[in-house]
Amino acid sequence: MEHLAPIVLIGGEKLDLAALFMIVLTSIVAFVLARLAIRNLSVENPGKLQNFMEWVVEFVSNIIGMATDFKRGKVYLSLGLTLIMYIFIGNMLGLPFNIITEAHHGHATFLGMELFMDGEEEAHFAWWKSPTADAAVTMALALTVIVISHIQGFRHNRKHYLKHYFQPWPFFFPINLIETIAKPLTLGLRLFGNIYAGEVMIGVIMGMGFVGIPALLIWQGFSIFVGAIQAFVFTMLTMVYIGQASIHEEDH
Amino acid sequence: MSFNWISFVIQVVAFGILYLLLSKFAFGPLFGIMEKRRQLVKDQIDGAEKSRTDAERYLEEQKQALQQARKEAYDIIELAKSTGSKQADDIVEAARSEANRLKDEAVREIESEKNKAIASVKAQVSGLSVLIASKIIEKQVDEKAQSELVDKYLQEVGTKS
Repeated sequence: MEHLAPIVLIGGEKLDLAALFMIVLTSIVAFVLARLAIRNLSVENPGKLQNFMEWVVEFVSNIIGMATDFKRGKVYLSLGLTLIMYIFIGNMLGLPFNIITEAHHGHATFLGMELFMDGEEEAHFAWWKSPTADAAVTMALALTVIVISHIQGFRHNRKHYLKHYFQPWPFFFPINLIETIAKPLTLGLRLFGNIYAGEVMIGVIMGMGFVGIPALLIWQGFSIFVGAIQAFVFTMLTMVYIGQASIHEEDH
Repeated sequence: MSFNWISFVIQVVAFGILYLLLSKFAFGPLFGIMEKRRQLVKDQIDGAEKSRTDAERYLEEQKQALQQARKEAYDIIELAKSTGSKQADDIVEAARSEANRLKDEAVREIESEKNKAIASVKAQVSGLSVLIASKIIEKQVDEKAQSELVDKYLQEVGTKS
């Protein structure tokens, strides 16, 4: 059956407690992981986690190097690291299990707040999911980086940034505008679609009962792969967009 | 699946906060350490390169010093050899001239001895002859014979004139 998101109404607005909870949890896990990695920083004798973290840094540096010029894209290293860590951890968190509460008699509460049940008598609330399996979350990430790319393009590369809307000819402006709008949409919805589909698929396989255990194993393995790939793709495209907008290459 | 604007705003804010926290408390120190390591590796490579060139230079210097020493030793030997032969020549020359001088001196001495001997012999011979003559004369010439001889000579003088 359909799992509802645990939503409370605050001043007429719907607050998704599961999304809030998972966003905060993912952020905390990312931050704690990063802090653990740099707990015993050492130049000559790095620990395992430090090594891993440095590998991630190198990895993101290479992404930036592939997408743009690393020397000028260096300032976005922290952004790329935050993105890839947050998205990867978010993608992984939704995989292993789910927490579902059942509500009967048409109402349920959380810390004294009434959960929004859409008028149903019975409902199952899913408390655990990937934050990236929520279109609002992925679009928030996508719009954040796209806005950053536009701001940086306007600040550092104004002439070319403004000109590129009218290239190769001025009447291409509407097409360029559509492309500009499509960028955040594809960026956010690609991530959302992949992760959400993965979780829906896990739900479907769970419905098969014990027969589905091998399929579940395979699908979870595949989801790990997809989650890693999507985190990489998101970071890569972020750097490509920022590079396109703000770093003008001389040979173009 | 509805689009939840509250989640959207929460995510934007959460991402902003996460970015700031990570940059400040995690990536900043990490980048610093990585930069330090890069510097360390660079320094060590530079140091190794420097020691290598130093070693090469020292080796070259040592080679040259060895060459120099070898050359000096050779020169010294050569010098000693030539000095030795020269000294030998000098000694032989000096001995030869000394010998010549001694010989000449001896010859001169012999000559003068001979002359002296001859002179003394001559003197003795004349003395002896006078002595012998006086002895002979002393024995043969007496008054009678003398007066006879004188008479004879007077007579002869008288007749011849």
